[in-house]
Amino acid sequence: MSDYNKLTDELIDQIRTAANGHVLTGEDVSDDFSRDEMPIYGTSAPEAVVQPLTTEEVSAVMKICNDNRIAVTPRGAGTGLVGGAVPLYGGIVLDTTKMNKIIGYDLENLAVTVQPGVLFKDLADDCSRQGLLYPPDPGEKLACLGGNVSTNAGGMRAVKYGTTRDYVRAMTVVLPNGEITHFGSNVSKTSSGYSLINLMIGSEGTLGVITELTLKIVPAPKKIASLIIPFEDLEAAISTVPKIKMANLNPQALEFMEKEIVLSSERYIGKSVFPQKIDGVEAGAYLLVTFEAKDEDELNDLIDEASELVLEAGAIDVLIADTPSKMKDAWAARSSFLEAIMAETKLLDECDVVVPITHITEFLTFANATAKECDLTIKSFGHAGDGNLHIYECSNDLTEDVFKERVDAFFEKIYAKATEVGGQVSGEHGIGSGKIKYLRKSLGETNMQLMQGIKKVFDPNLILNPGKICYIPED
Amino acid sequence: MEFLVCVKQVPDDSVEIHLNPETGTPDLSQADPEAGAFDTYAEELAVRFIEENGGSVTVVSAGTDDNKTCLKNSLAVGAGAAYLIADEGTDCLDSAQVADLLAAAAPKIEEQEGKKFDVILCGKESTDAIGGQVGALLAEKMNLPLVENAVEIKSTDSGISVKQETDTGFMMYEVSTPAVVTISKPDYDPRYPTIRSKMAARKAKIPTLTLSDLGISDLASEAAVSSLGFAEPKTRQAGIKINESEPEEAVKKAMDQMIADKAL
Repeated sequence: MSDYNKLTDELIDQIRTAANGHVLTGEDVSDDFSRDEMPIYGTSAPEAVVQPLTTEEVSAVMKICNDNRIAVTPRGAGTGLVGGAVPLYGGIVLDTTKMNKIIGYDLENLAVTVQPGVLFKDLADDCSRQGLLYPPDPGEKLACLGGNVSTNAGGMRAVKYGTTRDYVRAMTVVLPNGEITHFGSNVSKTSSGYSLINLMIGSEGTLGVITELTLKIVPAPKKIASLIIPFEDLEAAISTVPKIKMANLNPQALEFMEKEIVLSSERYIGKSVFPQKIDGVEAGAYLLVTFEAKDEDELNDLIDEASELVLEAGAIDVLIADTPSKMKDAWAARSSFLEAIMAETKLLDECDVVVPITHITEFLTFANATAKECDLTIKSFGHAGDGNLHIYECSNDLTEDVFKERVDAFFEKIYAKATEVGGQVSGEHGIGSGKIKYLRKSLGETNMQLMQGIKKVFDPNLILNPGKICYIPED
Repeated sequence: MEFLVCVKQVPDDSVEIHLNPETGTPDLSQADPEAGAFDTYAEELAVRFIEENGGSVTVVSAGTDDNKTCLKNSLAVGAGAAYLIADEGTDCLDSAQVADLLAAAAPKIEEQEGKKFDVILCGKESTDAIGGQVGALLAEKMNLPLVENAVEIKSTDSGISVKQETDTGFMMYEVSTPAVVTISKPDYDPRYPTIRSKMAARKAKIPTLTLSDLGISDLASEAAVSSLGFAEPKTRQAGIKINESEPEEAVKKAMDQMIADKAL
């Protein structure tokens, strides 16, 4: 069923009228709409881009596309890493970035209502100015909140606060047939039938178009500090993670990183933060841990307890970032890993597998051995606190075909290993078009068919973001 | 070499500051205080120097009791002693007053520490007021030589050589000591405290110097600047879109608009 119709001049006119003129065609459609940030999964141009301002415009456009079987790919800032926003079957890209208003706060219920095109950073900054915190903290700060919800973005603070899913209270959704509906409500618990809102979260634009979100927020922590903890090797670093969690220290963030990737990142941002040698001992890996507290005494107690614990567990030293600029510099290095790798790499792919934290070391050892076997260079870092690993496959000398072949062989093996130890294909980036094959193997046919069934209930004409997650038109 | 590093506590400059509508003064409630960036470069430069050549680093700050947090942070990254100048009226100081206080404090601290300072370092400017005057005023008041915007200090037979950053490159100076030097950004970053240095710094006692300790009887009369009030910058107006499809029409409309706005 890949016979999507092409946009005719007449249909474009209809869409232009429906969207009050907010339509780009021809040369006005920039190449950016053909790709996301991981072009290795292929690029494909839309026939037109619609940039709606209101739910009603989205509804009117969807109705036309549904009636005429035009493929529609919803898209935010395009910062995805699995090809999710690429319009593989042409049609229109529904760009929600112009719907970028923070509509308002309900401080008594600790909620904020936003349009889907608001950037994560803009909401985070706006909350911060009011002493509030929107807890999800994905690495990409310039992603749209609609995209964060559509991929159930996680990020650094997931170890304490959970992922985006835990902060979505309600949403307005335009179904593929143009009908406008609302899922969820601003309550903290519900047992009211199937959770349609949770089907939408992480659905990567395949079920409906989110046009408004009500998100949960929390009071911002009063005091915060990060520890940079160097270890001789990765195994020593990772084996400390369960100890930190068992000690009930409740870190806000708990990241691991290998020396190579830290050096790349420091070169990229032009700052040297992580110590390479301490009292003659070479650091091979680091943990970066953040704690929060209600006052300075409580924070100091946490820092002292955590330091004692990690030093006993084999840390070489503990460095403390407890001033705004030192925290910013430490996390700038961590937040720039992807950009640093991109700057130094011609061909790039990524696996954001998630495994139980007790299997991180075993899994990474396996991944390193498998990379060697597949003759592939990899760079790893990740969220040690929740087992979500980012393993980047990099090449500056292979041809694209050979690179893809090797990466596929590598992925087949490591995703099979992840499944074996109780892990999942993606922790926070999603499936898009790039990971469908591995998802199918990991979940099995029964679960894939359940997903396809859900897709058909929401989108009987199969027009929304075809070729993603569970539905490939050619299958 | 004995260093005295002057440190100003400033609000976190990564937080966007707005005026409190009730008081009309900057609302700093969301901006945690920390040492000014150039002051931290000054301390790191001094600590690196003494690690290589021997000596000591003492830090001093003028303000309120709150500044002790910032001074303890300085102790945790290599300073051997810290002094606070705090008294009535020291919560809001202009550059001339700060220079007066520091000039009076330096000999007192020398007395208490039992050493003479060879070099007094200041950051080249603070990250809040960005006045950049304290170093020069201090040198004038203490009648000491001054080099500004330095990124490197080395010892020589007769004093120090100082590498100054200029708009077009670098200038090298040889200066007798004691001297005042203001510090720009060197090509390294300040170190992070370790848990051990942090715990030691937390326990450290920071002596407070009062106005009477410094022999200053009327601080207010030393002020050279008075604040008339605060105002936020005007918010930028939305631009005008010129949507004409024909270039001639678009240019004409743009020109007409610029003439109307007196931009041309």
